[in-house]
Amino acid sequence: MPELDENLRAARRADFRVWEYLLLLLVAGLVVFAAPIPKMGIVALIFAAAVAKAGLVVRNYMHLRHEHLLLYLIAFVPVLLFVGLTLTLLPDIALRQ
Amino acid sequence: MDTLATSPSDVAVEPDRIRAIPQGKVGVWWFLASEIMIFGGLIGSFILIRLAHGGWHAEADHVHWRIGALNTLVLLTSSLTMAWACDAVKERDQRALKTFLFLTMLLGLTFLGIKAFEYSWEISDGFTPATNLFFAFYFTLTGLHACHVLGGIVANTLLWLCAVRGRRWPMIQHRVEFAGLYWHFVDIVWIFLFPLVYLS
Repeated sequence: MPELDENLRAARRADFRVWEYLLLLLVAGLVVFAAPIPKMGIVALIFAAAVAKAGLVVRNYMHLRHEHLLLYLIAFVPVLLFVGLTLTLLPDIALRQ
Repeated sequence: MDTLATSPSDVAVEPDRIRAIPQGKVGVWWFLASEIMIFGGLIGSFILIRLAHGGWHAEADHVHWRIGALNTLVLLTSSLTMAWACDAVKERDQRALKTFLFLTMLLGLTFLGIKAFEYSWEISDGFTPATNLFFAFYFTLTGLHACHVLGGIVANTLLWLCAVRGRRWPMIQHRVEFAGLYWHFVDIVWIFLFPLVYLS
């Protein structure tokens, strides 16, 4: 039983550490938002922080790092499709002017 | 010499490993994949149309980024409590499971309450989905996300009730993990919506 408690405590500590990193990235995003730097730089840094946050949640809270390749494929194929389709349409729709 | 070639016995192990993944978990990941396509389609359209219309900077100034940041904090914290609930169910700690599921529900309701307050503020200022394209996207994206949060709260409430009654423990074990996957996905969607809608 004490071993179980120790396992649970260790898991909670690890989850809490991830939450601290998430909080740090949120604050970093807000600092960048208020910083006197060019708009494109702000957008790039804020989205880099968002990708890092999503990565932390997927890896640690959704435990994808311990999962089979099949689950990776199920999750990442739609992400690749969405990113690919958006980039493909970018010249036609967004960069027309 | 390195033995890189796979033997027939190695090949036979692979389908067994795939079979070892609980069917429910594969089902939840397929469901999340379809959700990625739904939100991906909407977010992609938002990005493209926003870029085509010069960025909508004037319109975006009317949303309250401080409220969005507060809601991000609430949802990130709810992900922590949900992860703790999943840890508790693995260690068969029923008391911790009840506590953390309840906290997750509470934080989800807090998120929706703040969102409702924000909507009422914006609508009273005259910003509705009919105001312009930016607000049409804003209400669609955040409204759809809020519906998903509500769905997660309902799922967590049902699991919490099972945990409180102390029945169907073997059934709860897997379902808390599946509900956790869904809840974290909803959190990830918000992680991208917040900078897209409030900060860009």
